[in-house]
Amino acid sequence: MNELSASSRIAYPAAAAQPRVTHRLRGLSDRALAWLFITPTILLLLAINIFPLIWTIYLSFTNYRANRANVPTRWLGLDWYQSILTDPDIWAAMQVTAHFVIWTVIIETVLGFGLAFLIDKKFRGHGAWTTIILLPMMLSPAVVGNFWTFLYQPQIGLFNYVIGFVFGRAPSSFQMLGDVTLSPWAIVIVDAWMWTPYVMLICLAGLRSIPDYIYEAAEVDRASKLRQFWSITLPMALPFIMLAVLFRGIENFKMFDMVNLLTGGGPGSTTEVASITLKRAAFESWRTGYSSAFAIILFVTVFGLANIYVKALNRVKSR
Amino acid sequence: MAEVEIRAVSKAFKSRTGTTQAVSGLSLTIGHGEFVALLGPTGAGKTTTLRLVAGLEAPDNGSIRIDGRDVTGEAPADRDVAFVFQQYSLYPHLTVFENMAFALRAPTRRVPEAEIRAKVEQVARLLHIEAKLNNKATQLSGGQMQRVAIGRALVRSPAIYLMDEPLSSLDAKLRGEMRLELKRIQTDLGATILYVTHDQTEAMTMASRIGVIEAGRLMQIGTPREIYENPVNAYVAARLGQPAINLLPADIFAGVPHGARTIGARTEHLTIARGGGAVCATVTRIEHLGDQSYLHLDLGGQPVVTLSDPEAELRAGDAVSLGLRNPLFFDAAGRRLAA
Repeated sequence: MNELSASSRIAYPAAAAQPRVTHRLRGLSDRALAWLFITPTILLLLAINIFPLIWTIYLSFTNYRANRANVPTRWLGLDWYQSILTDPDIWAAMQVTAHFVIWTVIIETVLGFGLAFLIDKKFRGHGAWTTIILLPMMLSPAVVGNFWTFLYQPQIGLFNYVIGFVFGRAPSSFQMLGDVTLSPWAIVIVDAWMWTPYVMLICLAGLRSIPDYIYEAAEVDRASKLRQFWSITLPMALPFIMLAVLFRGIENFKMFDMVNLLTGGGPGSTTEVASITLKRAAFESWRTGYSSAFAIILFVTVFGLANIYVKALNRVKSR
Repeated sequence: MAEVEIRAVSKAFKSRTGTTQAVSGLSLTIGHGEFVALLGPTGAGKTTTLRLVAGLEAPDNGSIRIDGRDVTGEAPADRDVAFVFQQYSLYPHLTVFENMAFALRAPTRRVPEAEIRAKVEQVARLLHIEAKLNNKATQLSGGQMQRVAIGRALVRSPAIYLMDEPLSSLDAKLRGEMRLELKRIQTDLGATILYVTHDQTEAMTMASRIGVIEAGRLMQIGTPREIYENPVNAYVAARLGQPAINLLPADIFAGVPHGARTIGARTEHLTIARGGGAVCATVTRIEHLGDQSYLHLDLGGQPVVTLSDPEAELRAGDAVSLGLRNPLFFDAAGRRLAA
């Protein structure tokens, strides 16, 4: 008993005598220090994110044109919003966008999860294969757009040659980028080629997070491989899959660079996704007010959908 | 319930750094309704032995028979074993009920739904988790999770229950409770259990027989009392007893048998008297644990730990004389010598 009480008696004064270094550093309080560190970031964020957003909202209510900055602007209220939401061309662009987003997300998720599932089997050289599969994702979209334009060339393109060879048709008998029915799929194929590895990477993280002993327990419990997949692999990897879908969905909703390089929205307006319409309105027709309103509509749409989705994701995670 | 026979089983694991012999030539028979505990430190091969019986690993040599049937080449699903893992191996997105019913719902079993419900509820009552059946597995505390994991095994009536340190992730109080409960359930059900642990208390209190494993070999198998009182070597002696047995050089004391190199002395083998004597030691420290006190002695540089007699009222720095009372003797190789 003596030793115990003696040691506890020593412990207390030692703790109390310790200088409170955390509270003061050269006269600056913790709070001041914290503000000092985050102020530059907040200022930067205000300058390049928040201010432009508010400015855009303001412009969307006016007839401002960036190429005639000196002309006095007029307040239009919700006129732009009304004309955009009743414009069939805009709805056509939204449909093209939806087609692009939905199909790329489906294809990338199915292929990405499939690849992750195979790579996770840890066969010989799976590390090297992972790196090879990840290569497309590391390229710049500009590079990808340019060289897929070559691959899609009816005369010299490798893609046309291979497809022609497999289906026994002349390579120049079809044009991926020039055909009204094929071009929406042409951009889906390129995006899937480029971003499936990304989905695979996220799914792989999900699959790796499932401990082996759960599978072993299931094996002892006589669960078939199929049952293990449905009752362990898929539900436990689901939050990761959903996260990949969220990232790809948001990213492709605002897809611009690759589509702009591949088709520029053509032929006609068959691949004119919303961001291309927006760019044309903003920087070709210089209808700044109109395009601001459209940008706000797109922003609210993505933001709203993403929020609903994140709620669903949290519900899945907390299961 | 059935008899399980492990015959001369060996298993080595190859890695980049070389080959590790996890289990070598291990033979063991677990009788019908018996509770056998495998006791040994981390890396001794206990878990590998268990996984070999379950079929989660394939042996390099030897065979495993369950109820007279050679199952060595069979998959875990065909062996009729239940496994409780050290980690709570629950399916996190399923409820407690669904977790426990999981094995019964295997298509090969064809258990009617009403029977599944009855069985799960019965086991849940046994484990005192009947109120939690509709909870998600992730909403439980550690102790409850491990009960569910044990419950998942209990709903089946396998040939043998294999348990890999199922209580090690619980806190001390819960571990004590679960120890009692597990033993009660085993007796009630007449279950055959092979239980792996590094905790001597668990082995001593629950097992009908203890197998002590070291470096992949079964050193000794016997009742807890046999293992404690008649260890075959110094290693087995060191596995049991609190405080741990003192292994002292034989030349400190007079009158040791010929060939003895080491003396194994537990508390009951030592007599301590105040003041000097033939063998003198100094008290270095007294650890009070509440109901008992550990007495740390310095015997010419050799530390000795024993239980202190509360009447003796010794203090650090006191000189004492040490005597022996029927200690254990071991030869140069650590083998036990007859006194």
